[in-house]
Amino acid sequence: MPGTITTEEIELLIEEQKGGGGGGTAPPAGGNGGGGDDGKKRPNRRVSPGRYYTGIAIGIISVLMFFMALASAFLVRRGGAGWIPVQIPWLLWVNTAVLMTSSGTLELASKRLKLDDLPGFRQFWLVTTSLGVVFLIGQFLAWRMLVKQGVYLASNPSSSFFYIFTGAHALHLLGGIGGLIYVACRNFEKAKVPRTVAAEVASYYWHFMDGLWLFLLALMYLGR
Amino acid sequence: MVTYEEGGNGAAFTRSGPLAWVFSTAHKTIGRRYLWLSLASVLVGMVLSALLRLYSSWPDSPIPLLGGWPGTPERYAAIRLLHGSLMVFFVLTAAPQLGLGNFLLPLQIGAEEMAFPTLNCLSLWLTVASLAGMTASFFPPIRQGIDVWLVSAAIFSLGALLSALNFCVTTIELRTKGMTLPRMPITVWAWFVNAVLSLLIFSVLLAGCATVLSDRLFGSNFFSTSALLAQQPLNLVREGSSSVLWQRLFWYFAQAEVYVAILPCFGIITHLVATFARKPVWQERLAVLAICGVGALGFCVWGYHMFATGMNPYAPLVFSVLASSLGMPAAFLLASWLATLWNARIEFTTPVLFAIGFISLFIAGGLSGIFLARHDLSQAAVSQDFVIGHFHLVMGVAATFAMLAGLFFWFPKLFGTRMNERLGRAHFWLTFAGVYCIFMPMHWMGLLTQSTIFPEASRMAVASAGESIRTLVTAATIWTVAAQVLFVANFFASLWSRKTMDSDNPWAATTLEWSVGSPVPEENFGGRTPVVYRGAYEFAPQHLSPELLAQKAQ
Repeated sequence: MPGTITTEEIELLIEEQKGGGGGGTAPPAGGNGGGGDDGKKRPNRRVSPGRYYTGIAIGIISVLMFFMALASAFLVRRGGAGWIPVQIPWLLWVNTAVLMTSSGTLELASKRLKLDDLPGFRQFWLVTTSLGVVFLIGQFLAWRMLVKQGVYLASNPSSSFFYIFTGAHALHLLGGIGGLIYVACRNFEKAKVPRTVAAEVASYYWHFMDGLWLFLLALMYLGR
Repeated sequence: MVTYEEGGNGAAFTRSGPLAWVFSTAHKTIGRRYLWLSLASVLVGMVLSALLRLYSSWPDSPIPLLGGWPGTPERYAAIRLLHGSLMVFFVLTAAPQLGLGNFLLPLQIGAEEMAFPTLNCLSLWLTVASLAGMTASFFPPIRQGIDVWLVSAAIFSLGALLSALNFCVTTIELRTKGMTLPRMPITVWAWFVNAVLSLLIFSVLLAGCATVLSDRLFGSNFFSTSALLAQQPLNLVREGSSSVLWQRLFWYFAQAEVYVAILPCFGIITHLVATFARKPVWQERLAVLAICGVGALGFCVWGYHMFATGMNPYAPLVFSVLASSLGMPAAFLLASWLATLWNARIEFTTPVLFAIGFISLFIAGGLSGIFLARHDLSQAAVSQDFVIGHFHLVMGVAATFAMLAGLFFWFPKLFGTRMNERLGRAHFWLTFAGVYCIFMPMHWMGLLTQSTIFPEASRMAVASAGESIRTLVTAATIWTVAAQVLFVANFFASLWSRKTMDSDNPWAATTLEWSVGSPVPEENFGGRTPVVYRGAYEFAPQHLSPELLAQKAQ
């Protein structure tokens, strides 16, 4: 369940911890989707997972704001002089189906993880990541199709918006794929966050990307 | 009091080496670096403003950076852009929020670090990159220069977004035991509200930069002039297409940016006023609400601007009402400061002087703002000089005074020593007199020389009066810039001398950052978690020890 805190994690919330334990090597910095990772200090002290959930929620709001700005510009700009609606390539519908499926497999992966079935989790997680990559390739091919029809970024306002919506979404999705790969490859023995938390945070972002795509597609289809 | 031992737990986990030093993730180091960045920017920006004044007074004489370059009017515009970008992005946005905020926020809420230290480090270096880019954009020809500037602005937005995310999460998640929302210092509230606002507006600036850049570099059609102008009312087209678009694009961000710059200053001033008056903030909860209100309304005014950029400018009344309603929370904050100061026995140390200077400038600038918020009045009053005077008084100078107040106040925390009081006071009075002599006459200039309310015949007489005022303003600018030498001398001399202080808490303040050593030890609270039992502004009667009612006291 999203946001549920297990007893094990409640332990981490308790204050009055005395300084960190022994030394040990610091974990590598980085992290995607879930924000950052303490670059130094106290490798053995796990931090409360709340910050990652809050972080991803606020990050999502910020990304949403970015797309809302573009969407509002699109709505005002729509139908003005020189507006030639873009014929949405059929491939986009296939891509949408692929992305929807990836959200489904992601949920299956999360279920596996809850059942402590690590190999099953990895399998579904890998499928999700690959579907994400397939989606990106599909988007690229859709662009190629448009270019073949002679519709470029600079052709008219409508095509400009089509390319920036798909392009910006692809860029954000790339970040999501990075997050999925991070969760798959990270050695959680040493990490400050348990795998469940990392997986959940990454999946929030992924589902958001999925919803965002539906919104953008609807906007572009209905707003032609 | 929390005590610390040399070579305790803190040192054991620190990585060493030059790379680790450069990419330090410690919030105190990062906060200090932002302050250094702002200090450098403010000094350069000030010199540039003096050049601008010199040019506007004596456009024919050779002026450094202006005379020697080909195409002086273009250089003049480029200097203005550089002055504005340095001041707005790297001083007003960076110093009170990113500099003081990064340093103090974790300390004031009793946390060891920001929520995402690596992200914090990343946003610092994005900001540095953006500063380098904006400075570089000054040198190439205008067209390439603008492209470089846009890329830098986008990078700055990205850094600001990451910082804002960090501030939000830190405030929500990392408050220590007992640090309930009503007990949070007002500074923390202001940083938090400001972070939320930044989160919303900088994503839009990012989108704006991306689309404009794509228009400029790849020829896309987001803001293409021909199609756009077809929808415009005629009075907006007259100035020529691209400049109108540019103004719009600038304003939809800039309107909210004003509040991004001023909100943390509200927090700092409220905090300082209460601390020095040794009284609780008058109507503390309402004051917090007012800060939230400024944030929310500031966002709405901006939201209007976004639709205006989205090309529907038919709502001056809505804009006017929103802009005017911003006066309510601002006026309430003013009332709260004055009521807190009422009957208080204050020692006029430098931070207090700057805080009171802020309030004075805020009143003066706010009054002229009323003229600008009325859409019908503004036709008579708006001219370039009036707007410049108003905007610098409120946003530029008042905010700078708040930052200086904060810097003098927290200097012991930042660097472990106090700044010289006598130099500080001299610096204050010289600057205070200077800025009034610059920006008040500028309002007159705006009303006198450039307004259309005078009949054609009397304009010449008015214009000659304007000349002498213009010279006065330029002289006052040079005076004020020169006065800053005192500040720089004070700053570095205090750092150099490292005079030890009698107490870690020279102002007898209650908030958590004063419960640890000055300067703050590497591990803020020595690995222990402070527990808070009181509000931030519960002051003891004078004869009691300040320790007694610190936030940590039970």
